[in-house]
Amino acid sequence: MHELSLALEVCRLAEDALTLGGGGRVLRVAVEVGDETGVEVENFRFCLDALLTEPPFCGAGSELIRGPGDDFRLACVEVDDGRSND
Amino acid sequence: MAVRTIEVRERVMARNDVIAAVVRATLEAAGITAFNLVSSPGSGKTSLLERTLDVLGEELGIAVVTGDVQTQNDADRLARRTDRLVQAVVTGGACHLDASQVEASLTRIDLERTRLLFVENVGNLVCPAGWDLGEAAKIVVFSVTEGEDKPLKYPKMFRMARYAVINKIDLLPYLDFDVDLAMANARSVNPHLRFFLTSARTGAGLDEWFTFLRAAVRAPVGV
Repeated sequence: MHELSLALEVCRLAEDALTLGGGGRVLRVAVEVGDETGVEVENFRFCLDALLTEPPFCGAGSELIRGPGDDFRLACVEVDDGRSND
Repeated sequence: MAVRTIEVRERVMARNDVIAAVVRATLEAAGITAFNLVSSPGSGKTSLLERTLDVLGEELGIAVVTGDVQTQNDADRLARRTDRLVQAVVTGGACHLDASQVEASLTRIDLERTRLLFVENVGNLVCPAGWDLGEAAKIVVFSVTEGEDKPLKYPKMFRMARYAVINKIDLLPYLDFDVDLAMANARSVNPHLRFFLTSARTGAGLDEWFTFLRAAVRAPVGV
């Protein structure tokens, strides 16, 4: 059950990063999850994906980056800032 | 479309840890030693606290914060044993306490009259391991009905704890539980664990527990 708490905190951090980073449409939220964090990864992915359907994320994808140790961090937020590539 | 990556690298537990640091500083400034009692459901945390309050409640100025998913039954049980403050936190589904709930509870506790604080966490050997509540140390309680391999099944909790209480030892004559094997398993994940063997029902082993608590209040246990 604590995976939902963790996913909520990831979304809070991502929303802060989005605000500080100038906004945009969120495409992807990437999270580093160490093997020793005690996080049940599929449960966490389910919770995070459910929360990412809501504003301001509105269907953004999730990426869980596995690694050794107990690091558990929001790695980055990928956004489309609406500008043309030209 | 212009795709941009906002690098963050922020620890997910950072906010909880900031609040836990505030709780820890508040407790240290008030001269209060705090222990976070963690266990699976039914290990005897509340019974151990009842016994502890009976004997040391006034002597050590004990206050308790209890966490439960539903009901405040544990807090009600404890409140019958003491005039000291027992603060209930009903998590409403969450499987652990977090530092903000303890911080809020501290505002309702008379810190000047308190020297020892127990946080009785939600019964769960997984989730509470990851949350720092600002305690001096985690104490993991497990009972002889649970199997010797509990520390191997839930290693993070036993790694995070500094003390382990093996409770319900009055039942040992009726079980195949191997105390030495349980302690060896626990030490294999955390060689520094200190053990207490207790029966909250009969009182066996509680003298050593009480001596430890008196000492922890006299000379607070560092983090």
